[in-house]
Amino acid sequence: MNCAEFQRVLAEIIDGGGSAEQESHLESCSTCSSLVSDLKAISGQARALQASEEPSPRVWQAIDRTLQQWQSDLDYIAEQARTLQATEEPSPRVWNSLEIALRQEGLIRQPQRARSVVSFFERWRMAWLVPVAATLLVAGVILSQRGDQGGTQIAVRPQSPPSQSTSTNDDQQVLEAVASRTPAARDTYAANLRNVNAYIHDAEQSVQADPNDEEAQQYLMSAYEQKAMIYDMALDRSLP
Amino acid sequence: MQSSQRWARVAVVVMVTTATLAVGQTRKEFRFTVEPRSNISVTNRYGSISVKPAAGNQVVVTATLQSGKVEVDHNQSGNRIELVSHLLPGATAENSRVDYELTVPADASVSLQSTTGPLHAEGLSGDVVAEGAAANVDVRDVSNAHVHIKTLNGPITLTNINDGHVEITSVSGEVFLNDVNGPFVDVNSSSGAIHYDGDFGFGGEYILRSYSGNILATAPVYASIDVIARSVKGQVENDFPLHPKTHSSFPIDTMRSLVGTAGKAASSVKLLSFSGKIHLKKR
Repeated sequence: MNCAEFQRVLAEIIDGGGSAEQESHLESCSTCSSLVSDLKAISGQARALQASEEPSPRVWQAIDRTLQQWQSDLDYIAEQARTLQATEEPSPRVWNSLEIALRQEGLIRQPQRARSVVSFFERWRMAWLVPVAATLLVAGVILSQRGDQGGTQIAVRPQSPPSQSTSTNDDQQVLEAVASRTPAARDTYAANLRNVNAYIHDAEQSVQADPNDEEAQQYLMSAYEQKAMIYDMALDRSLP
Repeated sequence: MQSSQRWARVAVVVMVTTATLAVGQTRKEFRFTVEPRSNISVTNRYGSISVKPAAGNQVVVTATLQSGKVEVDHNQSGNRIELVSHLLPGATAENSRVDYELTVPADASVSLQSTTGPLHAEGLSGDVVAEGAAANVDVRDVSNAHVHIKTLNGPITLTNINDGHVEITSVSGEVFLNDVNGPFVDVNSSSGAIHYDGDFGFGGEYILRSYSGNILATAPVYASIDVIARSVKGQVENDFPLHPKTHSSFPIDTMRSLVGTAGKAASSVKLLSFSGKIHLKKR
């Protein structure tokens, strides 16, 4: 057996060992011997790499469980929000005033929350829920408007998006919260809210004009992300 | 003679004024010993935060407090350090200002918050998170790290960020990216303009998106990019030498959109605006 014949059956030798004739050639030929040795080493490394990099089924199951948990959390939050609305929860202004009064009396202090970069990222990640929820709402409206025009029926409960007046009321409450703490900042927040509301309005129109336009959906999500950020900063959730 | 007397009087007035202003100020220093890859968080209502790298395993914080209406709460839990400006009754934006200067090990991750800023971090290889409504944010010389910035109307400048995972959200603040590259660079602005000047690295995804703010991207001719630029209502201009693409996922309107590649098209570049103008320039 010469080198060319040997190298034609190289794969079989690597996988399962060779015949007596092949073993004999291997012992007598340093080139083929070195080649087999290198290939075996590479093959071993590749197997080790695959074993260490590929997530185990448990990881996938954990991800699946987490996603299901998020879905159930979202359902729970939506249900709580509906219940809260139905029971005429006092407005944030009431809670805000109460908090200010208690603080002035020295009965409460600013809470010291545990903070870390990790918690920061987690909060940012959760902030995406706002635009996602908004997109789902818009998608729900679009689907309900399409009615029985055919096509795939997606199991989204028809809901109305927040009306303009609801949004305005929310904005007003946020601006009052800002003014109560830093009066000079109110105008800045008001201008930025107007800006973002115009962004949301235009993006919503684009989505309604073409519900399949992914770019328009991205604009809408970006707009809601910005509004969530403004609310977050205005209400100072991130500050202790 | 009269002139020298006048100058002397001015000097006295300046000294007295400075002394009066400084009476309420307090300067405090805190030192913490940390392990590698520590986390440092500074939450400030009003005032600046500046972070610079230093050799060793010490975090040194110098805080200048404007008055007794504010105090600095500090806490170390293992490798995590928290500093918080704690406003006391009677605090106002003027008298509760605290200016922080930190030196940290270069591999530390920092999280900085201040409504007014400015916020500054440089020379780090750990993550940088900065948030401030009106704060001017300046981050430079950071590598292999996440850089996440949020402002309302504060301008943001990132310089010399290598291999960064960059996410920026600003409503009306202008964003300047100079020599910023990495696997993921995402800028989301409403009315603030976005300026990118750099080579877009090799193999990253770059998304610069605005509502009404203009987007100006400047790249050297050797940049390896796959570009999509599209403005729904604004103009798109290009004077960068791109190879046109024959296939696009959307209809090409030469006034409002652009697709093309340069070099090996290693990095994906998306310049997207609703009504802002987009301009891709050759450096």
